[in-house]
Amino acid sequence: MTGAVLAPLLVDALGEFLRPGTLADVFVDGLSKAALYAMIASGLTLVFGLLGVLNFAHGSFTMLGAYLGGLVMVLAVGSATGDLARMLTFLVGVLIVFAAIGALGGVIEVGLIRQLYDRPPIYQILLTFGLTLVLDELARIIVSFYGLQPITDWRDALGTKPAFMVENLNVGGLAVAPLDLFQIAFGTVTIGAIWLFLTRTRYGMVVRAGSEDDEMTAALGIDVNRVFTTVFALGSAVAGVAGMLLMWDPVWGASLPLAHETLLPAFVVVIVGGLGTFRGTVVAAGLVGMVDATMTWWFQNAITFTGLPEMMIFLVLVITLIVRPQGLFGVEEVGGH
Amino acid sequence: MSLLELDGVETYYGESHILEGVDLEVEEGEVVALMGRNGVGKTTTLRSILQLTSPREGSIRYRGKELVGMETHEVADAGVGWIPEDRRMFSQLTVEENVRIAVPKDADVQEGLDLAWDAFPDLEEIRDRDAGDLSGGQQQMLAIARGLVGKNDLLLVDEPSEGLAPLIVENVHDALEKAAGETTILLVEQNLPMALDLADRFYVLDHGVVVDSGDADEVSTDSERLRRHLSA
Repeated sequence: MTGAVLAPLLVDALGEFLRPGTLADVFVDGLSKAALYAMIASGLTLVFGLLGVLNFAHGSFTMLGAYLGGLVMVLAVGSATGDLARMLTFLVGVLIVFAAIGALGGVIEVGLIRQLYDRPPIYQILLTFGLTLVLDELARIIVSFYGLQPITDWRDALGTKPAFMVENLNVGGLAVAPLDLFQIAFGTVTIGAIWLFLTRTRYGMVVRAGSEDDEMTAALGIDVNRVFTTVFALGSAVAGVAGMLLMWDPVWGASLPLAHETLLPAFVVVIVGGLGTFRGTVVAAGLVGMVDATMTWWFQNAITFTGLPEMMIFLVLVITLIVRPQGLFGVEEVGGH
Repeated sequence: MSLLELDGVETYYGESHILEGVDLEVEEGEVVALMGRNGVGKTTTLRSILQLTSPREGSIRYRGKELVGMETHEVADAGVGWIPEDRRMFSQLTVEENVRIAVPKDADVQEGLDLAWDAFPDLEEIRDRDAGDLSGGQQQMLAIARGLVGKNDLLLVDEPSEGLAPLIVENVHDALEKAAGETTILLVEQNLPMALDLADRFYVLDHGVVVDSGDADEVSTDSERLRRHLSA
């Protein structure tokens, strides 16, 4: 395609993009992605900040949360189940996923990761990378055993959404996906709760102190190992709950690829925000979510090229690493353990 | 029974043999100065007591209870506090949060804060400032305040005057003198006049072993005895 042909197409696309309806659509999509990325990446950054462990198995917790949440919904919801009952079931499912994935994370920290704290970081990376292979393969075996297709999303779970989340809402003349609004609200509440936990509770203060200096924290009489386990479990649990949100989303759905499809953007968010900084992670999630949504629109409506939107968020990563290697809010040396 | 007894303590960093059999005792209510040149094992002795660097050989007993093999937080819970060499503030926590975190979890937080502000009124004025933004002197005050509110029976104080202006050193001296009335202190200090003024007894370490010890009064008038060990 020559430049003479391409230029008018891009001008037309730009005109379409700048329409208020399109901008609002992209903005809401960006916020919903930001909420999900913030939820997933917050656990990753808390674990890195406190334990100094870059957890490659984190995406697997999201994938497992999606399947477990989907299982709760599929078992509890029938065609006659009303919208209110579906929402209440979802909230019960969130509690189950939070507890189960949190417990799994806690067991993994105590049983496996703790054994390697005194080793160089490459050991922890290899362990968590191996762990993601094991968890993904286990999930594949179980999912296949029950006759589900592991690569594509779980249709039955998608179908457990309340009816009011299926059709777009008309807000001031703009069509808005209610699932996007739900994800934004849920993500905001979750991130707000983590923020309050970190800044308004004694335990949160201990987590922040331990992230800076675990020796000094222990010398004040605080069982740092227990804090490590709690934070790893909390991070895993929130990643699992994010998976439950994605289980309802037709763009994602409960599927095995969810593990790496969510892990890679989460890593980008954590690095762009500054390794180990919660505030940076939240801000970077907003940035990456907006870039992702904008590029998704452009590559779906102006330049059809599947895969490029995802690539663009890695461009954000590259630019950040060149301009500000420590990330938006990072310090030059981090890693709590 | 002494409050703290070290018996043949041998501590390594990797293959480096740092403490080669340290023996010392601290009685309840005493201030004991631990002195020696740089790199002879003073800080390692404190780290060994706290089990931050656990000894490979020897015994460390606190109120008769063996500390070797315990976790650091258990040693702290037993009543051993630490004011480390480089202050080690939690720089992203506020001044008040740095004090709060040092208050034992079953103790009254407000009482702990009042204790810190009474000891260092200047800190109360900057209670909302991030500890990372404080001057060296302010950080040292905060480090001592953190040690005080821990309600410890034994304070391990490492080089409290290091890098501070003379006026601030005086404040540190006064704060430690006040603390000494309420708790037992094992003090690592290169500032000889300050150490001997505060201490009841002293030990001198060289190459990981105790080479001299005695009453502080003995050497206050015989400083040559100490300088033999302390000069490079």
